[in-house]
Amino acid sequence: MPKILLVEDNEMNRDMLSRRLIRKGFTVDMAFDGKAGVEQARAGGYDLILMDMSLPEIDGWEATRQIRAASETRTVPIIALTAHAMAGDREKALEAGCNDYDTKPIELDRLLGKMAALLPAPGA
Amino acid sequence: MSHSAPGSNPVAALRHDLRTPVNHIVGYAEMLLEDLEGDRDADRRKALEAALAAARDALKLISLVLAPTRDAVEPAEVSGLYRKLEDPQRRILDAVHALLAAAGEVPSPTFAEDLRKIEAAAARLVPAEPGPAAPAAASGVAAARGKARVLVVDDEAGNRDLLARRLQREGYSVVSAAGGREALEVVAREPVDVVLLDVMMPDLDGLAVLQRLKAEPASRDLPVIMISALDDLSAIASCIEAGALDYLPKPFEPVILRARLAASLAEKRLRDQERDLVRALGVVTAAATAVEAAAYQGGQLADLAQRPDAVGRLARVMDRMATEVGAREASLRNRLDRLRTEIGVARQTREVVVQSDEDGLGAGETFAGRYRIEAVLGRGGMGTVYRARDTELDETVAIKTLRPELVVDDESRERFKDEIRLTRRITHRNVVRTHDFGEAKGIWYITMEFVEGLTVRQLLDARGTLGVESALAIGSQLAESLGVAHATGVIHRDIKPQNLLLDPEGVLKVMDFGVARLATGTAARHTQAGLIVGTPAYMSPEQLTGEEVDARSDLYSVGVVLFELLTGRLPLEGATVMALFAKVLSEDPPRPGSVVTGVPPALDDLVAQLLAKRPEDRVGSATILLERLQALA
Repeated sequence: MPKILLVEDNEMNRDMLSRRLIRKGFTVDMAFDGKAGVEQARAGGYDLILMDMSLPEIDGWEATRQIRAASETRTVPIIALTAHAMAGDREKALEAGCNDYDTKPIELDRLLGKMAALLPAPGA
Repeated sequence: MSHSAPGSNPVAALRHDLRTPVNHIVGYAEMLLEDLEGDRDADRRKALEAALAAARDALKLISLVLAPTRDAVEPAEVSGLYRKLEDPQRRILDAVHALLAAAGEVPSPTFAEDLRKIEAAAARLVPAEPGPAAPAAASGVAAARGKARVLVVDDEAGNRDLLARRLQREGYSVVSAAGGREALEVVAREPVDVVLLDVMMPDLDGLAVLQRLKAEPASRDLPVIMISALDDLSAIASCIEAGALDYLPKPFEPVILRARLAASLAEKRLRDQERDLVRALGVVTAAATAVEAAAYQGGQLADLAQRPDAVGRLARVMDRMATEVGAREASLRNRLDRLRTEIGVARQTREVVVQSDEDGLGAGETFAGRYRIEAVLGRGGMGTVYRARDTELDETVAIKTLRPELVVDDESRERFKDEIRLTRRITHRNVVRTHDFGEAKGIWYITMEFVEGLTVRQLLDARGTLGVESALAIGSQLAESLGVAHATGVIHRDIKPQNLLLDPEGVLKVMDFGVARLATGTAARHTQAGLIVGTPAYMSPEQLTGEEVDARSDLYSVGVVLFELLTGRLPLEGATVMALFAKVLSEDPPRPGSVVTGVPPALDDLVAQLLAKRPEDRVGSATILLERLQALA
């Protein structure tokens, strides 16, 4: 099953989203801040990263840039999760190196659709 | 979660603080709904759906009042929003309580626990008692941020509980720690606005905790108020020396507690704002240095530019200006580099200049008493161009001798003199300077600035086409020179690649301003002599038919030149001059983009417009043309 890294500082968001993803059959690891997210991404062999953009230590924008800059994690798909439906956030996320973008509150089906588009086809 | 709020925009911070619990409610409610099955759970499903609907209503209310487009909000609007949120909050809590009270088998082991999470999130939606946590000194920010969060560190459970309850009653949000290590963990893990720290604790005491907090950049500015018995003055003194902001004697006096907390929070907010401003200005200053060093990266200020305050405005303006300047400079440099390369390549393929001219002046000969002829530079319909040494001024000049048929009568000679007089007024880096007009040995001649370089004709012959970049570089310099000439009252009348020189730096020099005037004046009266002057392929329809021409005729010629630079061929071609005449007068030329690929549509449009048959359909002036070419660069 696809291995997902969820980088999210908010405990309830983390709890909720990870549980919902695990029920859908994903393997989910978690990091609590941007710095840990970057380290874990390097350690880990993930198929996809879900990145909250407002994080302590280093924020999601910077964490994404660092993940993109490292050769071993350059190609891992990243979906940015932001709390604000601000005009320009989408462009900003894509520019920082994210492959896609979703806003909170998370609509699980919508997010799963975006994830499926970025993950390798099952059995491939 | 003040640390995760974007920038220092209080509306965004409050929106974030309010949306976060609602997002939690939505997420947990949806998750619990997924667990429910069919009819057996119909009532539960209904209750969860009611909670979900209420949460969505709350989101709508929050987005409406705290719209992302706003950067300021009245306190009255905030309290109004809180009042409106009470309804969805009540609906959510009602649903949760009904679910918790309902008997029956639970759908999942964590069902009740998850419902409690929804309950907790709903409780955070409306502050229990908004107000006391917002000291008057900084009410704007405090009110916008919601409750301040206090960390109470005390090893005695009784003290901890007492303080926590009192603070909660005052409207603070409280987190407690039973010891020093736990306190450091809390600070590292979650945002805290102020710490109440007991001095006497086993293991890690208050002073040690304080020192560690002050040693970490992330917690250095966190206000810490020591809690201590009054007989412990020396310990309090050590703590204040170590950076504690204040102290609170036991037993607690509510009035003092309230005052010290409010004061420390107000100070923290001011310090946060100051630090944020200093950091922001540092970023802007660094960007300014980068602009100066031509190392500015577009979008470098994007984060700051989102701020609603004056710094944000400064960043937006500066980012836009610097990005534009940088792009234009880079594009110009790029284009000049390419031109330089083109010239270098063409120069290698260039024929050595003819050293003598059997019909005209010979190398080494002195002409008009002061010019020593050095080489023939070219021959055209009007005459021959020589490179010569002006022995009087000791500089190299170009001399153009005019065919005798062109200067037969006094009238055309006088008009030509007038034209040369006007032309001499044009001083511009893209215009070859005209020096003199005179006669010697029966030969009329013009002396001009000598430019070392190649004509665009030579480049085209060597390279076929010059491409979009070079076309834009040549076109904008040409437009610039025409703008100056037209403003002086001079129309060129013979713009063509042969008259466009590029110096080794890629700077375009336009030759023969006004010279064609001589030809148009006399040619009409000397057609029987079989004289063909000018270059029909570059002439406008009105010029070909002998009508009065104005500046817009030159713009047509620029259109032909641009077409040729882009495609390597002329827009309209005829086997004979008459066939060409007929086409120029009646046929629409193709668009450059239909001949070669890679021409930007806007440039295609521009060339088509320059080649319009009617002058009034063309680009209005050389200056407008220049702007449009620059916009394409």
